[in-house]
Amino acid sequence: MIGKNVSCFSREAGLSLSRNRLLSIATTSTVAICIFILGAALLMTINAGNFMKQLESDLEIIVFVDTECDADDTSCLGEKIQEMDQVGSVYFVSKEDALKKLQQRFNEDDYNLAETVGGNPLPDSFEVKTNDPEQVKAVAQEIEKLAGVSKVNYGQGMIDHLLQVTKWVRIISIAIIVLLALGGVFLIATTIRLAIFARRKEIYLMKLIGATDWFVRWPFFIEGVILGSVGALIALLFLIIGYGSLLNNLETAIFFIPLIHEKTLLINIYVSLLLTGAALGVIGTAISVNRFLDV
Amino acid sequence: MLVQFYNVSKVYPGGMKALNDVSLKIDRGEFIFLMGPSGAGKSTLIRLMIREEKPSRGQIFIASRSVVRMKRNEVPQLRRNIGIIFQDFKLLENKTVYENIGFAMRVVGASIQEMRQRVPEVIQMVGLKGREQSFPGQLSGGEQQRVGVARAIANRPVVLIADEPTGNLDMDTSNEIMELLYDINRKGTTVIMATHARELVKESHKRVITLESGHIVSDLSAGEMAL
Repeated sequence: MIGKNVSCFSREAGLSLSRNRLLSIATTSTVAICIFILGAALLMTINAGNFMKQLESDLEIIVFVDTECDADDTSCLGEKIQEMDQVGSVYFVSKEDALKKLQQRFNEDDYNLAETVGGNPLPDSFEVKTNDPEQVKAVAQEIEKLAGVSKVNYGQGMIDHLLQVTKWVRIISIAIIVLLALGGVFLIATTIRLAIFARRKEIYLMKLIGATDWFVRWPFFIEGVILGSVGALIALLFLIIGYGSLLNNLETAIFFIPLIHEKTLLINIYVSLLLTGAALGVIGTAISVNRFLDV
Repeated sequence: MLVQFYNVSKVYPGGMKALNDVSLKIDRGEFIFLMGPSGAGKSTLIRLMIREEKPSRGQIFIASRSVVRMKRNEVPQLRRNIGIIFQDFKLLENKTVYENIGFAMRVVGASIQEMRQRVPEVIQMVGLKGREQSFPGQLSGGEQQRVGVARAIANRPVVLIADEPTGNLDMDTSNEIMELLYDINRKGTTVIMATHARELVKESHKRVITLESGHIVSDLSAGEMAL
């Protein structure tokens, strides 16, 4: 019984779609454009978020140890920093290591740093990472107060800026996505309303003959879901091809922007976009269908 | 009693008074003419019976069930027991004769087997055998109204309501449609027909209810009409 009705309603929906071909094409392309922009915005947001997270996790505090401290004082200082709340990891860089690192930046054969400067002028240092990037400033100020610290570097000012930027990027992208989804729902609602309007005589008859509300509604919901899903599928096709070629070309060209390429995450994004298309179809239909049932 | 109206008034938004304190009773198996000029309230009376509208005051019962207090989801069941014939036929232009009649059955959830059996039956009954695959545009007015009648009786309604069914037809064709309606009535279906056409009513020897500006001005039984 249910199976019979589903096939019957689907046939009805398919018939209506082909009968109103121009309208169906218009709606499908509208949904496709909407889902494409939505998907592009989503990929951009997720990538931006990922990039920001990486930037944030790169934030670290460099603590320069007073040159007058001996080895005991220095390791004592390291322990004190490690014991602080909010501190994640502490990595000790001895002055010898620091010099080696610096020397690596210049070519050893061309230019011997130790010889030129005479001895090693660099201090011992600690590279400190916090659990939460927002705590960098507070932790740095705490460390500054400890004995044996000559200087603390944490990109003063930069951090506040960076955190502000990441926060606003997130808020704005969410707002754009919500607005786009609303636009999609509105457009589908309009198309379904036109489709229903074209068949209002038929609906009126059905109601007078004794059709239940759901009997009248079903074909339109199926129609809405088909329009939404087909639109989403077209958008996905372009997105998958577009993002795929972006991964292939951009990853090598701009290596410092880490594009997301985990398969499961991408599949999740694509599937949820498809479901969003179908959901837009359902919501759009729901908005339009009821006002014509009042007979 | 099949249909009962108790002191029913209907005022449309805007203040237009369509019906004023109308009471009437219709028995099972009766054939009734609703007469009166345009705007007398005939169509409103019909709309109230199928719950297309609710009355402003009064009570309406069909088969002892209150149409006024009926819940929205009970309305389809009411309408399945009422067949309707329209002046302008209201056939679906893109469906064949067969499909137009089948459509009415499918809407109320009939199975394919039931349709295969019942649709040819009613097509035969209204005399349209051989025209099953024609579209409404290929039929004459009289033939189109026959499809309308077939569609209305396909679901075996208890009451058949006809709103000016001959309004768009010439005299000969009208008489043919009337014969069809009398025939349906003889088989036990109650028929309520709104009409302008005095000639049809005069010769019918049926009960005639006359409305004028929302009031019932006369209700003559079949016997009284004969006098």
